[in-house]
Amino acid sequence: MPQVELRNITMRFGKVVAADEVDLTIADGEYVTILGPSGCGKTTLIRIIAGILEPTVGEVFIGGKDMKGVPIEERDVGYVFQNIALFPHFTVQSNVTFGPMVKDRSREEQQQTAHKYLELVKLLDKMQMFPSELCGGEQQKASLARALATGARLLLLDEPLSALDARVRVDLRYELRRIVKQLGLTTVHVTHDQEEAMSVSDRIVVMRVGGIVESGTPQQLYTRPMDIFTSNFVGETNLLEGWVKEREEGRSVIELRDESIITVEHCDYKEGEAVVISIRPEFVFPFTDGLLSKIEYLTYMGTYWRVMAEARSEDRVEFDVPAVEGKMYHPGQEIYLMVNRKAAVVFPRPREGIAEAVKLE
Amino acid sequence: MPSIRLQGVFKSYGDIKAAQDLNLNVEDGEYLCLLGPTGAGKTTALRIISGLTRCDEGKIFFGEKLMNDIEPEDRKAVMLSQTYSLFPQLTVAENILFGPDIRGFPEDVKEETLKEMLNLVRLKHRPDAFPRELSGGMQQRTALARALASGAEVLLLDEPLRALDARLRISLRHELRDLAKTLGITTIHVTHDQEEALVMADRIAVIREGRILQVGTPAEVFDNPISPFVANFVGQSNFFVGKVIQKREATEVQDDRGHSVLAQPGGCHVGDQVVVGVKVGNTEISKEGEGYFEGTVERVLFEGRNLHVDLNVPGIGRYSSKIPSWRLGKIVPGDIVKIKWSADKARVFAMPEKGLAEELKVE
Repeated sequence: MPQVELRNITMRFGKVVAADEVDLTIADGEYVTILGPSGCGKTTLIRIIAGILEPTVGEVFIGGKDMKGVPIEERDVGYVFQNIALFPHFTVQSNVTFGPMVKDRSREEQQQTAHKYLELVKLLDKMQMFPSELCGGEQQKASLARALATGARLLLLDEPLSALDARVRVDLRYELRRIVKQLGLTTVHVTHDQEEAMSVSDRIVVMRVGGIVESGTPQQLYTRPMDIFTSNFVGETNLLEGWVKEREEGRSVIELRDESIITVEHCDYKEGEAVVISIRPEFVFPFTDGLLSKIEYLTYMGTYWRVMAEARSEDRVEFDVPAVEGKMYHPGQEIYLMVNRKAAVVFPRPREGIAEAVKLE
Repeated sequence: MPSIRLQGVFKSYGDIKAAQDLNLNVEDGEYLCLLGPTGAGKTTALRIISGLTRCDEGKIFFGEKLMNDIEPEDRKAVMLSQTYSLFPQLTVAENILFGPDIRGFPEDVKEETLKEMLNLVRLKHRPDAFPRELSGGMQQRTALARALASGAEVLLLDEPLRALDARLRISLRHELRDLAKTLGITTIHVTHDQEEALVMADRIAVIREGRILQVGTPAEVFDNPISPFVANFVGQSNFFVGKVIQKREATEVQDDRGHSVLAQPGGCHVGDQVVVGVKVGNTEISKEGEGYFEGTVERVLFEGRNLHVDLNVPGIGRYSSKIPSWRLGKIVPGDIVKIKWSADKARVFAMPEKGLAEELKVE
């Protein structure tokens, strides 16, 4: 199975730099998601891998072979688009056997192939239907079966779930990962949806304005992000402004703008340095002392309540309380909040300001 | 601002029944989310309220006033589509003043309105920008400002966040709701995203096949769903099919294999064939202790706050559970776990006529 390697890829469209000296290696059999906001260059990157776009500078290797000048049909890739691209006048089965690798084979072999992949995506009972008779999720499964039936060992998924309803999308995420893992394919999946990225990937590559911010397993990026942008983009977080007041072995004390203090375990910055603490809502909890905060409103999330509050330090703080405890809190109430010191991540204060550093668009 | 009332509204397009006896009350100043899958009739309902579509039968009231024969432009109800439909050749300011302009408002009133609107939607610094120069969020705010500047008293939002990035969508939820609530405008927001509805709505109306299934606060709809479909559409659920064998402080339901589970009391009799539904977030799994039955862990997916665990339960099928992510590594594929829930978290439903699979279909 192919390894994919991007070396020093730069892509310019006129004055716009969609990819800026990108290096990325995707291991054999790995499921990698390229995640980023609109316009970050993620679609450009996947199109360069596919051979739809030729990079301005840089090289693409698939399975160790330089892909320069190799057209898409010879790269042995399966490609699934956001907008479902099935042939409307072909049945599901004929759509699946349409691929160039399948077309030349015997009728019997074609049927076997269709059978195999439609079974895998659980559409066997609909193989004689036309695309218009399927619902959105089923159409996208048929597109996937068609991409897989080409026998490609490298699967490229370009926002494959974005056009679907939220509920269908969630069900398909799990299916998608199951299918590609069962076949052992190398997969590159592009999305702007951080939840989707976390559910499907072995590794997530976070992109912003044409460059890679960082990459890691979903767990690494969620629990120990290296960059402040990632901390806010991959999952929701609270960002608290402060200064390192004291450093000791194994813990640091951070002072906020109202002189209240937060103790954290992981902090690599010197005393006096301006920092930002990133702490997820599920790791902030009401306590007998800590950050004095005023509750603004509560939102029911089903199995818990998300509480929005403003701290006296002027930082906005969101925290979660169990569903049964929702009654104990109300807007206007003043409470003290504590932070789980193990879960806090500390970043240097960005020069451009926090808002700019985590901007989503 | 007016309240809105739909009474026995029907609308068909050929064989497709987009509204079948639609009944709905929206309070003055309320933020109501109309939640349902694609093709449920959400957009049709909005178009009927706005006057863009005539219903075949039924009545539409704004306050006490019957609106059936009132033209769309006289309803003061503005519909905002997912693509915003701003005029591309007009600036932000010109887009906002489009309504006041054609109505011939005096200059000083227009100027005041513009200032107010730009402040409200935080676009003070961009009045001269063209839509294409703005981000998705800004375009959306401009469209909202344009709707409000034309004197709208009813805001009809058709998937207003759909075109935006997932992460941005989450951060704009509160902003949009706050704006509508500050203005006290009566709002109906159509969405297929149950989480969006939970976070934004005063009340949620769940719609399917042109019918309103349930109306209630987010907590009511999530905790006390009226049918297996609602239970599964608003937060994913696991289901258990069996017969009621006992009713005391909890209902005991048993299947043919002898597995027996507990659920809330009410709504059924001993001997009834029923479906028990429990949210995946309330489905507890553990390697030790007791459970209603056992399952094998098939996969564990890290989703940030939670782990999503898929289980195979012999004779029953796929179950899922959401557990806090600190349990990562403590539950792994291949583990045999006990599955249980507290009786008050599980609802009992009559067995749907067309069967459970058909009932749960989301598209």
